Amino acid sequence: MEVTLIDSPVANVANIARGLRAAGASLEVTRDAEVIARAGKVVLPGVGSFIAAMRWLEENHIDDAIRAAVKNGASLLGICVGHQALFEISNEMGVTRGLGLVAGEVKKFEGALPVPQIGWNRVTANGAPLFEGITPGTSFYFVNSYAASDVPHEIARAEYGGPFTAAVQNSRVFGVQFHPEKSSTAGLRVLRNFVAWT
Amino acid sequence: MDVIPSLDLLGGRVVRLTRGDFATAHAYGEPEAVLESLKVPRGSRLHIVDLEGSRSGAPIETNNVARLAARDLRVQVGGGIRSVDDARRWLDCGAQKVVIGTVAADSPDTLRAIVDALGAERVIAAVDVRDGVVRVAGWERDAQRSLAEVLASIRESGIEEILITDISRDGVMRGPSFAMYRSLPRELKIIASGGVSTIGDVVSLARLPNIRGCVIGKALLDRKIDLAEARARAAMPSAIPERVIPCLDVRDGRVVKGVNFVDIRDAGDPVECARRYEAEGADELVILDISATDHGRQTALETVHRVAEALFIPLTVGGGVRTVEDFRAMLRAGADRVAINTAALRNPQLIADCAREFGVQAVVLSCDAKDGQAMVRSGKETAGVNAVDWCVEAERRGAGEILLTSVNRDGTSSGFDIELLRAVTARVKISVIASGGAGTLQHFRDAIEAGGARAVLAASLFHDHVLTVGDVKRYLDAEGIPVRW
Repeated sequence: MEVTLIDSPVANVANIARGLRAAGASLEVTRDAEVIARAGKVVLPGVGSFIAAMRWLEENHIDDAIRAAVKNGASLLGICVGHQALFEISNEMGVTRGLGLVAGEVKKFEGALPVPQIGWNRVTANGAPLFEGITPGTSFYFVNSYAASDVPHEIARAEYGGPFTAAVQNSRVFGVQFHPEKSSTAGLRVLRNFVAWT
Repeated sequence: MDVIPSLDLLGGRVVRLTRGDFATAHAYGEPEAVLESLKVPRGSRLHIVDLEGSRSGAPIETNNVARLAARDLRVQVGGGIRSVDDARRWLDCGAQKVVIGTVAADSPDTLRAIVDALGAERVIAAVDVRDGVVRVAGWERDAQRSLAEVLASIRESGIEEILITDISRDGVMRGPSFAMYRSLPRELKIIASGGVSTIGDVVSLARLPNIRGCVIGKALLDRKIDLAEARARAAMPSAIPERVIPCLDVRDGRVVKGVNFVDIRDAGDPVECARRYEAEGADELVILDISATDHGRQTALETVHRVAEALFIPLTVGGGVRTVEDFRAMLRAGADRVAINTAALRNPQLIADCAREFGVQAVVLSCDAKDGQAMVRSGKETAGVNAVDWCVEAERRGAGEILLTSVNRDGTSSGFDIELLRAVTARVKISVIASGGAGTLQHFRDAIEAGGARAVLAASLFHDHVLTVGDVKRYLDAEGIPVRW
């Protein structure tokens, strides 16, 4: 299955490429907005700062290309900060607009636990196809200080002080807050489910 | 698990004694002022010890306790309660429960009379233990009966909550006696007391099946523990699985192993080892490159790349990272996080530079500690800096995690250095990976439970198939420590 991986400089593209290949994808790794706009299956990676990730997308018109692709029927998977970019708003350093493909906003973790969350955390999905074959409570690897919570399109959640959104699905748009490429066999299964999804 | 602040009163003031010795009394001030400063919320349980009452055998601080009980606090009070009348006097002051010590240990008949008069739900039995022996009368003499006998008679009387203090731990911040609590029956409802000095202690106690509460005095008064944070963490002690991390020491592209960083032997191909560990359930992998030459370091990048290609769990890489560019090269080769050691000690700004460039989650401070000192050059030379202070500074400068290796213990299989781990975890918020000395399953448990480590690392133990990663995770799980499956 052909997958277009957005070659963001604000991302761990090489690791995600390895994960997708292991999940059966044949990859096109690109930062060409026109190629992305015509793609049928797109992966948006991202690590670090939401603002830096969004700024790069906007400066290179990749934000519009992603929206165009989705409008044309493409499926999309956002990973970590790529997942956060799907929402309407992030509260990282003030208020920054996201792609607005999924309703909700991204907020900083509050409470007693150390931030960023670095490590494995148990995820419970609601039976969505992205988590097919994965036992509820399976752990995935997270590195994040911000997360959405209690959003309408949530398909999986985890707890860090309180509940937060581990994954979303709005029609053909998917997002995972964890790093599937670093989450061993369970993570590869999520990637395989996305690659195989039609 | 309830987290119960504890105030010891003497002459109307809050004081602390060390190991029950009145000569060591340290005053903290008026009880109301202390409660304000600790931010003890309304409705909270509050444990009060009437020290003079405990010594003299009669209630003394009754007026002060009445004042505190009127502040919408659920007060439990102990010290010198020897009779039904004594116990009644405390309840008349507004105390919700009485804590019965000496009588519970020495006089089952009096204990039963108090329970009959007040109701078992208003009585907490307190047992003070030193080296497995029950102590009574302000800890000044041994009880007549063994701990098992004392506990049995308390349970026969119908009392549910038993406050057990290891007085060799009390007020000295060495941590609670996890081993003692683990040795007691699972079905007891114990309130742990003595030695609780870090948030990690609170979390570890909350994981034990027979611990229903813990009393904290000195650590709250000395601001080592924040009450609200302790309560939040006690409510979710298993929020995050603890990690088991195999380590590959790599030189010139081969896995090697040595004792105390010397006497190096070949132990195989890094990619094969990495694959095996992921299959066994490793939560993460650490590669430490101990090559001494530039050529060796170039080889290390290739090794990292080869391992990263084969691995779908997080990879931390260390060894020979001198600059931001070295750091970047490791990330490009496939590392998720990079450990810095000697270069950070020589130029602490490197930590902040890397944190700004790559994010705090990418920066691991690797600290090799020997005799309390931070070491450079693979543990060969002292850096002239206290290891604990250095870890605190590294956190302040932006390290996201600390890989803490005891050079003294490394390769000895004699156990992790719990004292070193406690000293560091008491003072940093970021997680600490325990390294150096793993020899048995219990060592891994102790590093997490008593040491406060959030991850445990071992090399030769796993290379030599003495234990598998899976063995360690199954054991931790059985001991009540959350792991990833």
